[in-house]
Amino acid sequence: MATRVRESVDEVLGQLSNFWFGMSLLAVWGVMTLIGVVVDQGKDASFYQTNYMPALARLVLRLHLDNIYHSAAYLGIIGLILACMTLATFWRVIPARLPPLRGVKIAAIPLNASVEIAGDEATVRSRVEQFFAGRGWLVRKREQGGVEWTFADKFNWARKGVLIAHVGFVLIAAGTTLYWAFGYSGQTAILAGSTVTIPENGTRFTLDRFRYRIDPIQTKSGTVYQPIDYVSDVHVAAKNGPLETRVLRVNHPLDVGDTLYYQASYGFAVPFTLTKNGRPLPNVPSAPLREGEGFAVGDTSRSIQYARFVGTIGPGNTIGADPRPNDPGVILNVFDGGQAIGQVLVPLERGVDLGDGYHVEAGRYVLYSGIQYRHDPGIPLVGLGAFVLLTGLCICFYLLPARLFVRLDPAPREAGREAWTVGIAATTVKGYEIFEEQFHALVEALRESEPRSESVAGSTRPVAAAT
Amino acid sequence: MNTDQVLILIAISAYITGTLSFLIYFLSRENWAKMAGIPFAFIGCVTQFVELFYRWQTSHIWPLTNLYGSLSLFAAMSVLIFIVFALRYDLWFMGGFVLALAAGFLAYALTWNEGYLPAVPALQSYWIKIHVPLVVSSYAAFMVAFVSSVLYLIKYYGERSIRGGGTPVRARAATGGGAQFDVGLSMQAAPERRPRPIIGGDSPNLESAAIAGNPLALWLATLPTLAKLDILTYRIVSIGLPLLTVGIITGAWWAKEAWGAYWQWDPKETAALFSWTIYALYMHLHTRNAWRGLRCAWLAAFGFITIIFCYLGVNIWISGLHSYKM
Repeated sequence: MATRVRESVDEVLGQLSNFWFGMSLLAVWGVMTLIGVVVDQGKDASFYQTNYMPALARLVLRLHLDNIYHSAAYLGIIGLILACMTLATFWRVIPARLPPLRGVKIAAIPLNASVEIAGDEATVRSRVEQFFAGRGWLVRKREQGGVEWTFADKFNWARKGVLIAHVGFVLIAAGTTLYWAFGYSGQTAILAGSTVTIPENGTRFTLDRFRYRIDPIQTKSGTVYQPIDYVSDVHVAAKNGPLETRVLRVNHPLDVGDTLYYQASYGFAVPFTLTKNGRPLPNVPSAPLREGEGFAVGDTSRSIQYARFVGTIGPGNTIGADPRPNDPGVILNVFDGGQAIGQVLVPLERGVDLGDGYHVEAGRYVLYSGIQYRHDPGIPLVGLGAFVLLTGLCICFYLLPARLFVRLDPAPREAGREAWTVGIAATTVKGYEIFEEQFHALVEALRESEPRSESVAGSTRPVAAAT
Repeated sequence: MNTDQVLILIAISAYITGTLSFLIYFLSRENWAKMAGIPFAFIGCVTQFVELFYRWQTSHIWPLTNLYGSLSLFAAMSVLIFIVFALRYDLWFMGGFVLALAAGFLAYALTWNEGYLPAVPALQSYWIKIHVPLVVSSYAAFMVAFVSSVLYLIKYYGERSIRGGGTPVRARAATGGGAQFDVGLSMQAAPERRPRPIIGGDSPNLESAAIAGNPLALWLATLPTLAKLDILTYRIVSIGLPLLTVGIITGAWWAKEAWGAYWQWDPKETAALFSWTIYALYMHLHTRNAWRGLRCAWLAAFGFITIIFCYLGVNIWISGLHSYKM
């Protein structure tokens, strides 16, 4: 019974660490990722209905391709890939990269050579060992089957580079898990002059003023209105902490009580009034609306969404290029039963008739600042993981662990002189071709280091013989 | 015409002239063509860096904040990486292709040159001086690797068309013997006592076809052996992948500072991760005998297509946090 269970476990582990299984997972991940890149993510259903062909929009929404990166299938595939990588690393790759010191058939290794050196066995062995040790090779000896083998390793420790790289991945994953377990993030918008409280930690933000700078720049294809700076002047107080005056700008987050606050966006909030036959209707929010927000038109099936702010209304009620509020207006999307039926450009502080006696009017804009916040206790671990990963990759890529297998065999006596044939074979973790020039240079140096010895040409056997 | 435009014109002219010289060298192996091409590669590359520096100094705007600047650096870095590798491994035969691509990308960059635009707030960070050069340099390395992998494929299928199927290097290795062509590419027999190389020889069929005067075989024999091209591609990818890794890590760190999250599955981030995976796969698979050579060459070629999608496709066609065209 125990054997059967063990066999089943081995079979499952073998399948999970199988190369082609991993490739298949990567292919599926690649396709899903590509879908995520091509299909806009995280938008409202109305966005797809407006911008995509109806059939495609339905497909996107039904298959939940609008949020693919957070789908169970996508996370599941990533989990399987990680499991596959981990198993392949520990089950197959690392054991293969850390081979035990064991003798080989020298002639069967594609990189092999032999050098004849005069002298008794102990002297020849000592010379050979000194030769390799003097060139930075780690020399070790083992006796196997009555034959004394000498093993010389270069960058033997670097065989663990792949393990180090994978440890880096594990640290990154651990750091990310820390965030999931103990971190939080969110975003909030503060209207100029108002105060918000961050629900997770009680920090209070008051936006005193929001400043922006957009410069008209003359380019070859015309005037471009380039954003130069976004700045929020805020008063901030951590829970039970003193009130401080701070400046928040892009790329310069504020650190308040181990939570970072970022200048993420800004916009123009606009209050709306809706009337029917001149009488105000109550179902319009009293607070100014931000882009994307909306309200129902009375008790009809229609609704209005504040789509975007227009800084400058051009001649003939067109949208001007200058985003700065010179002659501002708003674009409203009109929906009926959830279906987009049209757009209308409404100048601020003026109104537009919607039919059936309905009339909507946009008031004066109020600037708001979009702030993102994040408390992430896993960041140091992720940073360390990135460093370890990079170290492991550099070890893997730039160092070439190689092993020389050396054995001595008596050479035929000539003129009563004792000599030994030094057989050398080499293996590396990156194949034979990459080490060939170095190997031949090494053999040549060994040959030349013994001027009194006679050498026999080394031979390089075909790669195919070993594969 | 201002100084900026004059420098660009010099760079493009140098690349085009260098391309022609190196292509003549590629096809004829005339040494004078190589010697003529090398200075043009240097001139074009140096001029491009001078132009970017000039642009920075005159406008006081970091030149890599738009697609023109990054494409320009991409072209210059690809030529620089090519020159470094060519000096180390005698890769001048690839020069025609690398310089042609560099000239093409530089010409394309010009279509995005809108003049001097200050950086948008998100780009006003010291990270732009670290992240962008790293990533663009990795793309450049992958372009050079792409050229060497395509040459591998040309040689592989050229040899196969002569032989009529099979795997050239393995076949040569298995049978051994025959005259051989050094990577130096003169038709010389190996010295008697010299070890027979694994990477230094072409397939026996190619050798015999070349000796028989087959023009395709003669020309193919002037290219480095398949094993050598494979190792070259590997060495170049070994430069590109760590650069891309550091580029992604610095980008993530910058994103954390600018947007509050180091990874947001933005199209650019996702596409870069996909390309990284392809090249990481390449490095893993290159350790396997069955994958080294043809399959890895295809993978390196495909990897560069994903890089182009990540670099230009995402920037131009897909809106996201990295849509900095102008």
